[in-house]
Amino acid sequence: MLQFELKKVFSKFKNRMAIVLLLVILVAVSMLTMNRVEYVDSDGNHVSGLIGARSLRAEKNKWKGEVTEDVLEAVVRENEAVNHSPEFQSDNIEELDEAYARKQGFSGIAEIINNAFSEWRDYDYFAIDNVSSEEAKSVYARRISNLKQFLDSGEEVFSDSQKEYMIKKYEDLETPFYYEYTDGWSALLQNISTFILVLALIIGFLVSGIFSSEFQTKADAIFFSTKLGRNRAVLSKMGAGFLITTVFYVAFVLLYTFVVLLALGADGANCPIQMDMWRSVYNVTFLQAYLLIVAGGYVGTLFAATLSMLASAITRSTATAIIVPFIVLCAFPFLSRVITLPGICSYFPDQLLEIYITMKDCVLVELGGEVVDVVSVIVPVYAAVCLLLEPVLYKVYKRTQVS
Amino acid sequence: MELEFKDLTKNFGGFTAVDHINLVMTNGVYGLLGVNGAGKTTLMRMLCTLLLPTSGTITYNGKNIFKMDGEYRKRLGYLPQEFGFYPEFTVQDYLLYIASIKGIRPAVARKRVKQLVAKVGLSKAADKKMKKLSGGMKRRAGVAQAMLNDPEILVLDEPTAGLDPNERIRFRNLISELSEERLVLLSTHIVSDIEYIANEIWLMKDGTLMHKGTADEIINSMPEQVWQCFVDKNMVSEYMKKYKISNMKAEPQGVELRIIAKERPSENARSTQASLEDVFLYYFGEKAGGEDVAI
Repeated sequence: MLQFELKKVFSKFKNRMAIVLLLVILVAVSMLTMNRVEYVDSDGNHVSGLIGARSLRAEKNKWKGEVTEDVLEAVVRENEAVNHSPEFQSDNIEELDEAYARKQGFSGIAEIINNAFSEWRDYDYFAIDNVSSEEAKSVYARRISNLKQFLDSGEEVFSDSQKEYMIKKYEDLETPFYYEYTDGWSALLQNISTFILVLALIIGFLVSGIFSSEFQTKADAIFFSTKLGRNRAVLSKMGAGFLITTVFYVAFVLLYTFVVLLALGADGANCPIQMDMWRSVYNVTFLQAYLLIVAGGYVGTLFAATLSMLASAITRSTATAIIVPFIVLCAFPFLSRVITLPGICSYFPDQLLEIYITMKDCVLVELGGEVVDVVSVIVPVYAAVCLLLEPVLYKVYKRTQVS
Repeated sequence: MELEFKDLTKNFGGFTAVDHINLVMTNGVYGLLGVNGAGKTTLMRMLCTLLLPTSGTITYNGKNIFKMDGEYRKRLGYLPQEFGFYPEFTVQDYLLYIASIKGIRPAVARKRVKQLVAKVGLSKAADKKMKKLSGGMKRRAGVAQAMLNDPEILVLDEPTAGLDPNERIRFRNLISELSEERLVLLSTHIVSDIEYIANEIWLMKDGTLMHKGTADEIINSMPEQVWQCFVDKNMVSEYMKKYKISNMKAEPQGVELRIIAKERPSENARSTQASLEDVFLYYFGEKAGGEDVAI
């Protein structure tokens, strides 16, 4: 039964075209992601993509290891040495590029120092140039003190328990950081949300006709007059929707991940995300951040697909069902820009696909006196909503009357 | 096996499509005759559990069919008036899918599909996509799907509508063949279809059953007589205003009219045996001559 439901979906020309489109988008987004990693060789030439990533990886992994006080000191000294080189002093862009090329290996550590010595909301690219090797040792301590200073400034309103939560999270973060080439993961995480959004919309498109097609093809009368038409056949439709959502999501996300990491390198999976998101309260590694983003994306995709199927069953219209994922995933972000609903917007379903951005910001909620980050709330809540919608979908379709 | 309609009523808003129908059916072919909008499809859809009655019940051997759920539907075969299918499926896949939602095990289904495809004359088209079939072939695939579970109750809603005469006769014979040892409810507005295959005929109008019985009983129930006479061409319109004309035919000596009337309409009119077509015209009047009605 399930195989026929799947056949119904994939025998439609428009659905086959949607899959082709998805493959084209996968290739395009993978290319764009690969080009995010750029390397400048010793002659000042810019190389991006596969070759650039390979060279950058080799360069950065020379500094591979824990970012201890000694390493921080060494980076400041090395940076100073480059700054005093004739190439760096030159006005010639090519020579400046040559100087930059020498900084690429430790650029990740330099960023940590820049972040630690920048204003809270800013990033001073040249902060390291004004930091002594002695001062550089205080990088991890400054991360916490900068937060405390910001919280005391009153620029943002946080409750005392939220402040406490953030400080604790900062203090709990394991230091020293482990440094290695993380640009593959970094590029992957930056673009994956966009890819997941497109994927969710196309999956929504694929499942939108599962329930309504019976009415559109006028096959409903026969379908509902059969022995299993109001029970197992409905479950098999739901199963087909779930299977398409899950298999397509997993397959395409894995494919995208595989392509990007194969091209750019998968090193740095266990480095802390703070190397990319200095102020994040999420004490996770790149790999854990990826899993969190993917899990959130899956729940968001499943939620949009389930709503699409529900609309398909209720309205008997595929067109209406196709619109639902767009409303859920695209109109909500638009709404949050038009209407100022600071507290509520963080709970909109589109946020499930924006976990990368959410991890950078610090959106906290208090539940029963406990402070938690918003991701820990929306992912399980929407997963539970998806589960609750399943029996609703079943009952709606089971009770269909064919007049 | 006994199916019973008890005070069965279906309202759509203020419109009553089926109005307090009481009936009992056992094995045999029942022909439901009525013009479009008479309530035939609504009645059949309730029988197929596609629509819930507004009031009243349908029972199968004394049990409410809506409570029996799948237990009732497993005995049912249904060919709707608008036979919908999955256009990209081949005939074989389509039938295998319907077999699966009828709860037939795959191994049995494959065997049954093969048999039925041969029986309805679609063996050569088994691998053809449903959308590529002709109207008649689609209808035959429709009958095959209805027969997959070897149903005790076979409901056929306008099965011959839109078919050419050859296909219609072929189809009618097929239904006759399939109707042995089961209850067949056949709805149509094509009188000859019913006349040939139905054991009992129900005349339905405005949601109610006007008459039921065998073709002879129905014919005898008509309180007027059928007359045949030749009239001058110029007189035809006058006769049409005055009487119900069930047929007219131009002949060299004038126009031959078939008139339904209590009294002899003219001196030269001779009484003749009424047919089911005459009865249909008598009961359904002008509506019987609508564009969808073929007598």
